[in-house]
Amino acid sequence: MLRRLTTSIIPSRGVKQLVNIKWVRPEYVPAYKQERSGDLEALPKIPTNAVPEVYALTDELKDAPESVKKIFSVEHLGKKEYNALVKKELINRVRRHQYDDNTAETRIARITGHIRCLQDTMEKFPRNVKAKQTVQELIDKRKKLLKFLRQYDYKKFEWLLEKLNLEYKAHPETYYKLSRKESLRKLTEMHCEDIRRNKLADYRNLLESQQGPFLKQKLEALKFIKSEQIELQLPVTVSEQDIKKVEEQLEDWRIKDEIKQQARKKKRNILLD
Amino acid sequence: MSRNIAEAARKFLLLGQCVPTVKQNATKIRVKRLELDENLLMYFRKDEFYYCHDPDQKCKTGDIVLIQSLPRKLTKLITHEVKEVVYPFGDITDPITNKKVAKERYREDIEKEAEIYGKLKSGFDYNKALPRGWQDGKKDFTSKPTYTKFHVFDENDPYAI
Repeated sequence: MLRRLTTSIIPSRGVKQLVNIKWVRPEYVPAYKQERSGDLEALPKIPTNAVPEVYALTDELKDAPESVKKIFSVEHLGKKEYNALVKKELINRVRRHQYDDNTAETRIARITGHIRCLQDTMEKFPRNVKAKQTVQELIDKRKKLLKFLRQYDYKKFEWLLEKLNLEYKAHPETYYKLSRKESLRKLTEMHCEDIRRNKLADYRNLLESQQGPFLKQKLEALKFIKSEQIELQLPVTVSEQDIKKVEEQLEDWRIKDEIKQQARKKKRNILLD
Repeated sequence: MSRNIAEAARKFLLLGQCVPTVKQNATKIRVKRLELDENLLMYFRKDEFYYCHDPDQKCKTGDIVLIQSLPRKLTKLITHEVKEVVYPFGDITDPITNKKVAKERYREDIEKEAEIYGKLKSGFDYNKALPRGWQDGKKDFTSKPTYTKFHVFDENDPYAI
């Protein structure tokens, strides 16, 4: 009874936050968007007075009046003809020979052209469900084809990414639904890792700052021992090499210390600014 | 007896594939094994992962490599070293004829076909091709594992999906 009361008054559900971290949920980006699909450029620039492939070769159109040319241009004939030109443009970037239209690179180019056209449609009509489905399917298919191409011909894969201006990201190990609990756990882990790293760096700095004075002391002590041994005519145990080694170490430390102090000064200046 | 042999073999040489990893000074190698399920009397795949010492960055993601156990562990994680890259990823050579292969065909044949049809400048030329890795981190994000984006950081990580 009491427990029920307390739980109803004080809500204790959810993750207890031990560290002060603010979690920001990444905003939802539809899969057809450029940043998700990996396209780095939009539709290629095709002039509105371009003529579709079917009419481009006819002699009649070449010496036809302006008004007729306008009627037969993409602007007038519609989106379908325009999309065909987009696909042709992209295929022409990677074509091996004139009759090449079913190799991996041309297939990927054609699909890319189709995707970019549909992305344009989706920007204008975001509620077009049919286009949304199609573009999703095409993006997945292209990713699969790129994956296979990568497996059997890596050099061509990289060349194709450059030519078509695409980005390839491998699949993650697992796809999972984003949750607050899991994200907070990861952030806390990162925070702990940061603390650990900082502490280690501080301790390292402390030890390194003590190195210089110690080396100086060591050098003096070695020189003193040597002079005493010579004076008292005892066998000399400290060689020239030992002293030289310590001197070198001291010199190295001095150079490192200077670099460090300069960096610290720079930081301070930036903070002051 | 067989276990001893298996353990000895594990110390000698292993063949595995390089997989993407976040660690900067080690490569992660996946060794595929088969494990017998005694109830079903069937073999099931079981992967083992080894972190390997590779100072010259010999192997890249996807390469099939030979690894050998180090006489002493280098760190808590790194137990093996990369001996040799046996099959580079996506650059296959036919072992019998020593010719380069793309999928089921020789590259020579592909080139020849293009020449017969009338080669265009836009096509890919194997002779001019740069070695693998020039797009790494620019357009090809496969050297590190990708993950689902879970937070909005100041810097945008390309490996977050």
